[in-house]
Amino acid sequence: MAAEPLSLPIPKLGPDVRGRERRARLIGLALLAPAIFVGLLFLYYPLLFIVQMSFTLGDSFLRPSGAVTTISNYSAMLGRYLPNLAVTVQLAGLATIADLIFGVPFAYILVRKVRYRDLVRAFMVFPMFGALYIAFGLRFILLPGGPATPLFELLGIPNASVLYSLPSVVFAMSIFTFPFMVMNVGTALSNVDPVLEEAAACLGATPRQTFTRILLPLTRAGIVAGCLMVFGWSLGTFAEPLLLGSINEQRTLAWTLYLKGVVQLDYGLSTAMGVVLLIFAFVVTYFSLRFTRGALVE
Amino acid sequence: MSASSVPSTAPLVTSTRRPARRRWTSRRMTDILSHGYIWFCLAVFVLPFTALLVYSFTGPGGTYAIENFQYVLGSFGENLWWSIRVSVLSVAIDLAIALPAAYAIVRYPVPGKRLIYSLLSLPLYVPGAVIGLSLVIAYNFTYHLTTSIWGLVLAMVVGTFPLMLTPIIVALKDLPVSFEEAAECLGASRWQTFRRIVFPLIGPGLSAGLMLAFIIVFNEYLVTLFVHPSDVTTAPLRIFNLVRTAGLLPTTAALAVTMQLISFATVLVFFRVFGTRYLKATYLI
Repeated sequence: MAAEPLSLPIPKLGPDVRGRERRARLIGLALLAPAIFVGLLFLYYPLLFIVQMSFTLGDSFLRPSGAVTTISNYSAMLGRYLPNLAVTVQLAGLATIADLIFGVPFAYILVRKVRYRDLVRAFMVFPMFGALYIAFGLRFILLPGGPATPLFELLGIPNASVLYSLPSVVFAMSIFTFPFMVMNVGTALSNVDPVLEEAAACLGATPRQTFTRILLPLTRAGIVAGCLMVFGWSLGTFAEPLLLGSINEQRTLAWTLYLKGVVQLDYGLSTAMGVVLLIFAFVVTYFSLRFTRGALVE
Repeated sequence: MSASSVPSTAPLVTSTRRPARRRWTSRRMTDILSHGYIWFCLAVFVLPFTALLVYSFTGPGGTYAIENFQYVLGSFGENLWWSIRVSVLSVAIDLAIALPAAYAIVRYPVPGKRLIYSLLSLPLYVPGAVIGLSLVIAYNFTYHLTTSIWGLVLAMVVGTFPLMLTPIIVALKDLPVSFEEAAECLGASRWQTFRRIVFPLIGPGLSAGLMLAFIIVFNEYLVTLFVHPSDVTTAPLRIFNLVRTAGLLPTTAALAVTMQLISFATVLVFFRVFGTRYLKATYLI
């Protein structure tokens, strides 16, 4: 008993440290376990399930005679339902461009000039509450005979043509995703020292040169990440085209997927649409994480 | 030299002063334009809300009516109550699984933690319709959860989990390890260290996650549309159904206004108490 403390120190240190390391790893995994468990059960398993289901015909998955394996769902995606895919990508692209045009100056002014930033944040919370309220509000505004009628008369636009049209859908979508763009670009901009701009100006650069030669290269990652995020979010657009668009032209994949899957019970086709959207989401996430968030975990 | 330099400096002084004044005014113009632009954008942000607010006070025949708000607690009260219950339950589950996960990611040498973080934050980018469809199919054919509120709650948990995780990670990264080391040196157990030292110090980050998850779940209609049990209709879903089928009604607008005001009040209280620091790397700057 008395000799034991003496035998403790140096020789045991190596294996002990290694054992501690292993134990720390195990505790870490145990702490992560609930999150991984919920993720596997309620995210990854269902997603794999719809991938599998997208290769079966219609609702044959349910029939006792067994599922009919087919790729006709995907050929329908490229044939009859190509316009739906095209309009989804078109709307998301237009919303991204609108956010880029209006969001980059907004972020610049916000980061460099505005002192009442908390007030701006408070206002910018409103789009976050959801596309549904935005679409609902705009629908009321744009309704023929609604509050915006005098404005349209002033501009000489026939009022009836505004509500169920592409621009109003893009307008609503870009309001909804605007904070994401401002967030990404603003974070990138606030990491750029204003001294660099002053130095460029001192060296005789015009504002435009300062922008293209200094600011743009330094904030490129943030701008790309913002665009990807806005694009990814806009792909799943649901309420805006439904409430503000025309049902024949702005029939996005998310909405068609709902109709086919939940209303008409054509599981094969609707899951194929889901898988196409999912692939887009994976690609966007991959690049987006590469550009920004990965740094958080390091 | 000096005789010739005196007349030459006189116009030089005036010529430098005039561009200076012009620069000052143009700078002021830029300022006015930039702040004007900010305010214009902010006005556009609140435009849909303002429209709904005005509309919700409209009675039949364009009169002023506050009666529309009676419906919010009357026939919409049940929907509001469901919304609150679903939000509270899913935020609680979110917290219970995100807190240990964030702690493990920041403090423990877990292999492949970057990949795990990416995989866990994927739902932020998967369109709600896809999550909804995959879950409703899995609930139907495998889990048999379609009639229980837990299916809806767990769907919300999966969707908002990254929003809870990220602010907690940010807060934990800001917390020096030395506090925990000091506690350990003074003889505290791991659990004591966490409860007495770490938990109070990451409070603001934790609250940021709670607030974000709450307002997203509270206003969620899309995943709910897919997975809700037939007897559960949350308030946003009710709004969606009413706008789609019944057209525009001032009472629906009143419900939408109430939902947004509750969410906005939550955000304002948070800003007031904790500031905006821990919302970095999440939704808001």
